[in-house]
Amino acid sequence: MEAVSARAFRKVLVANRAEIAVRVCRTLRDMEIPSVAVYSEADRGALHVRAADEAVCLGPPAPSDSYLNIAAVLDAARATGADAIHPGYGFLSQSAPFARACADAGVTFIGPSADSMEILGDKASSRRAAQRCGVPTIPGVEGVADVDAALTEADRLGYPVLLKAVGGGGGRGMRRAANAEELRAAFEGARREAKASFDDDRLFLEKLVHPARHVEIQILGDGRDAIALGERECSLQRRYQKIIEESPCAVLDAKTRAAMEQAAVALSREARYAGAGTVEFLLGPDGAYYFLEVNTRLQVEHPVTEMRTGLDLVRAQIEIAAGGPLPTKPTPRGHAIEARLNAEDPYHGFLPQTGRILNLRWPGGDGVRVDAGVASGHAVHAHYDSLLAKVIVHGADREEARLGLIAALESLVLLGLTTNQSLLLDLLHDDAFAGAQTFTHTLESREWPGPSSLPDEAFLAAAVALHAPPAGAAGREDADRFSPWLRLGPWNRASAADDGVAR
Amino acid sequence: MSRRVVFRWGGKHPEGAVAFQAGSVSLERDGRTVRADYSRDGGWITLRVGDDVHRVAVARDARGLWVSWRGRTFLVVPEGRDGGPRGAADAPDEIRAPMTGRVVSITAAGGAAVREGDLLLTIEAMKMEFKLTAPEDGSVLEVACAEGDRVELGQLLVRLKPAADPEAEA
Repeated sequence: MEAVSARAFRKVLVANRAEIAVRVCRTLRDMEIPSVAVYSEADRGALHVRAADEAVCLGPPAPSDSYLNIAAVLDAARATGADAIHPGYGFLSQSAPFARACADAGVTFIGPSADSMEILGDKASSRRAAQRCGVPTIPGVEGVADVDAALTEADRLGYPVLLKAVGGGGGRGMRRAANAEELRAAFEGARREAKASFDDDRLFLEKLVHPARHVEIQILGDGRDAIALGERECSLQRRYQKIIEESPCAVLDAKTRAAMEQAAVALSREARYAGAGTVEFLLGPDGAYYFLEVNTRLQVEHPVTEMRTGLDLVRAQIEIAAGGPLPTKPTPRGHAIEARLNAEDPYHGFLPQTGRILNLRWPGGDGVRVDAGVASGHAVHAHYDSLLAKVIVHGADREEARLGLIAALESLVLLGLTTNQSLLLDLLHDDAFAGAQTFTHTLESREWPGPSSLPDEAFLAAAVALHAPPAGAAGREDADRFSPWLRLGPWNRASAADDGVAR
Repeated sequence: MSRRVVFRWGGKHPEGAVAFQAGSVSLERDGRTVRADYSRDGGWITLRVGDDVHRVAVARDARGLWVSWRGRTFLVVPEGRDGGPRGAADAPDEIRAPMTGRVVSITAAGGAAVREGDLLLTIEAMKMEFKLTAPEDGSVLEVACAEGDRVELGQLLVRLKPAADPEAEA
């Protein structure tokens, strides 16, 4: 395997941005493969641009003009002599047309074939593939034409039901309905969001499994065979976007895990899948599991699996794309939990936040990993998704990992914009999470009010920052006559030492 | 000699009496007194309260003072007599578009009273619907957009007048 990895590719272009592009570049550096970053005009000077050996500007900030612009990405590969492209997640990572365009241009797409993507990437066709492989699916119907059809089908399935976009992912276009009235109200919104997000307004209607856990199996395939690398539980979600992920799932027994892994491997073989992929399931309250969908790419939460198995999944992707063999199936160890730090206000509708990072300090220490896409002094803008960084902690068991992640998040400092850091701590401290009793609806069905008062320590620090007499003038009461806003120097700049990205 | 300090934070107006003396600070707040020795090093303030040592990060920008303590970040704006340049408690809240998008529906009506958390309008952006809510109690001064409008990042959508807070005026 070393022989393959040493000279797998001449140069690899990373067709993505932020933390995932930084993380892919790290593995390329480890493998001594030169890397090329691409960026939009909004991302000049971004961390991922600095993480690569060279960088090419794709165009204006709008994704369609930059990170989704297939012609511009392939031009950048040609101009820099890159012979392979790593797509990261999101953007072009699940685009069969892009995988085909890469093949036509003589560039290796580091991921599954366009054919595999079409079988597994589309919800309707992956569901049929699952049924062919004997994998349980949630009872439902595909392509409900209008409200009346939906109401008829819902009566047959029984409420509650879930509407979702056929071409969807990431929860967009999803709506739940507890009765006919709610279904009637939800239908048009779901269709509008499906159309806007995927240019495809076809909707699925299915029975809602409740309370459910989201449990997914990581797979690696080589186009013929596949191995499963255990599960991740990602039940804590808001708007179907995960924010805390862990492995193992605390309630999964060995028999069910083996059955789910077998199902995921069968699907992977059925689609002749190559590279890293994730087969997602819902785990019902009775222990029954149902196929949900396949993500034909690396996932945001892949470090959870890496921390437990010791595998570098990006390296595995690259080696498989270069024709190398599958790694030996590892035995996962301990427990890992990841928290996603997002630029959003968790106590006001998760509204995206923007601003310039004034001071930044990542946690460190044994068992702590930070995958970050931003650095101190950077402006966080609203052109793309709100993920700033992921903090992942590995421990001997779940409680050690949970307490380790709490400690890591308590020492994390990011000033200059509001993030969800405080909510992550609320969740990790919560009895429901400590007791492994969280479900896909837990986050959104409860109130998370946040701190109810300004702590004395914060009050004191603010008072010191604004009103303390200058050093050497302690006790000079007349200092108070001057506005602290005018007197204070520019002490808000982070020192260079705070600017580093923990590895 | 102590001074009265009032902050605006999260729609509230925490206040206390603060006195400095030779490297220590005392805070009298809601009937309790907290004493701390302090030192300042760039953007970091170290507080010693009894046997506990707290490292608190602070940074200032046009929006106020950002304070991070034990993984929680608080944006405070000085208020009252010793307030900052924008210190007025009744400065209007400006609700601006968090990103480029389209206004799907407007719930806020000019002149109407709103409570913190009330829905003002919904915009569709980044292919998702976002609900913009009132950051604090008050009344709607102006609705500066219409349903169906395409709005740019940072564009003013609604102006709110915060409800008068008798404690802040004390």
